[in-house]
Amino acid sequence: MYEGKNSFMKDMIEIQDLYKTFDRVQVLNGLNLHVREGETKVVIGRSGAGKSVLLKSIIGILRPESGSIKINGVDVTQLSDRDFDAVRRNIGLVFQGGALFDSLNVGENVGFVLDEFSKMPAVEKRQRVAHALSLVGMSGIEEMMPSQLSGGMRKRVSLARVLCMEPKIILYDEPTSEVDPITSDAIQRLIIEMRDRLKVTSIVVMHDMNAAYKIADSIAMFYHGQVIADGTPEEIRNSRHPVVRQFISGDAVGPITEDESMKFGHVK
Amino acid sequence: MGHMIIRKSTLAVEGLLRYVGQLTLLLMRILSAAITPPFSAYRILSQARRVGPGSLMIACLVALFVGMIIALQMAYMMLKLSAEIYIPNVIAVSLTRELGPVLTALIVAGRVGAGITAEIGSMVVTEQVDALKAFAADPVRYLAVPRFLALAVMLPVLTIFAVLVGIFGGFLICNFKLSISSHMYWSMVSDSLAIKDIVTGLAKTAFFGIIIATVGCFEGLNVKGGADGVGRATTLSVVRSFILIIMFDCFFTFIFYFLFNA
Ligand SMILES: Nc1ncnc2c1ncn2[C@@H]1O[C@H](COP(=O)(O)OP(=O)(O)O)[C@@H](O)[C@H]1O
Ligand SMILES: [Mg+2]
Repeated sequence: MYEGKNSFMKDMIEIQDLYKTFDRVQVLNGLNLHVREGETKVVIGRSGAGKSVLLKSIIGILRPESGSIKINGVDVTQLSDRDFDAVRRNIGLVFQGGALFDSLNVGENVGFVLDEFSKMPAVEKRQRVAHALSLVGMSGIEEMMPSQLSGGMRKRVSLARVLCMEPKIILYDEPTSEVDPITSDAIQRLIIEMRDRLKVTSIVVMHDMNAAYKIADSIAMFYHGQVIADGTPEEIRNSRHPVVRQFISGDAVGPITEDESMKFGHVK
Repeated sequence: MGHMIIRKSTLAVEGLLRYVGQLTLLLMRILSAAITPPFSAYRILSQARRVGPGSLMIACLVALFVGMIIALQMAYMMLKLSAEIYIPNVIAVSLTRELGPVLTALIVAGRVGAGITAEIGSMVVTEQVDALKAFAADPVRYLAVPRFLALAVMLPVLTIFAVLVGIFGGFLICNFKLSISSHMYWSMVSDSLAIKDIVTGLAKTAFFGIIIATVGCFEGLNVKGGADGVGRATTLSVVRSFILIIMFDCFFTFIFYFLFNA
């Protein structure tokens, strides 16, 4: 099994035996995942595999039925919402759909955390917001409203909103889908830069295998609510696991069938 | 057959009690967030601005017509008894204690309560409520508290206006149709209203505001699914507010009756 190039590093996120069910559909089915400090872990798997559910469980929006999620050594599954908030301030989640607050303009969205939780002077706040927007290539749109943005722009603003809070852990939910190839490349560079420069620990959900090989320290594959493979990009590329092989080659014929998503999340 | 009816009504009562229980839990969370810092006057004011002026015209218009209707209906009966001199009495008391608070509450439930549910509900389905949680911002504090406080303050204010306009509506009929003099009308009105009428009317109104805001937020926060879920929740919010308002109105009327008359 994968040991990672930083095997001396401790686990930042340690998920053990996680179960989550919705309306009798088993989404996470005894899932195990370890992310080391400063590592970028790419998570792949079909739509509906439970990748977003996992990210929301880590940040405590969803609560799993059983299993443990340790963040920096602390089991967060047992925390009350109030105690969880202290952990959440160090974690940023870039939502799949952006989830921008549509009553606030772009600048207020990006500076939301600063406005709510810091006593930073207004000038400094504005600079931080402008800097975060420039990182995602969206300078000067502070006054626009979210309803005026395209899907890709929303996603980038949502990314800026997370960068602005300077978290130690960033969870990216499909940051490169719905954006053009050039923006996609810029976002990939940004993810690499966050790791190299700020030592951010990340989980990145994505479908683009080329991008995954480029940015990942390790890649984990979800299938039937579990991680069925976890290794370096090289190991995943050369995996003999039939499901992994089929997924990374994007083949409609194989162990994963078309109606898989119906079968998966097998009704109890 | 009889068994079926009994079983169905037990289930209905059980459901109602559970619902009121859930509302109470949310209300507790709203109240505890409302009295602990940080406070945001800006958010409350911007909500109050949306609640107040928009509903004022409708509430007053409805009250004006209701005041006129009561006057006419009463005239029909009281003239037979030659007791038309009591008409201002009936208008003032019924509007202050009952019709003003209830009608204004129903109007606001339909306008503002539905709006609260639709707005919060669409924030749920677009994951904005999840995003609040992810940024360690409590959705109850951020979304429910300002709407709750705005309604708690604005509904009594709206009701006071509505009652005054309603009594004025009664005056129009009494003065021009029943030739009760202006001086006579207003002195009858002010004589007939005791402090307790005004206090019970306002107490009810405040409670109705709490019902509308709590139901509106509860239905919004519990939206499931997409746009269809928001639509369903909005309808439910209005229907449930209506039922609770009328139910609690009846309940309060009982209480006040036994408190002051028994
Ligand atoms: N809040 C929810 N309520 C009910 N079912 C949900 C909820 N969130 C996710 N699911 C279900 O869980 C499964 C996994 O969803 P998700 O994690 O979003 O998949 P993906 O891997 O594409 O991100 C899906 O079948 C979805 O219908
Ligand atoms: Mg997803």
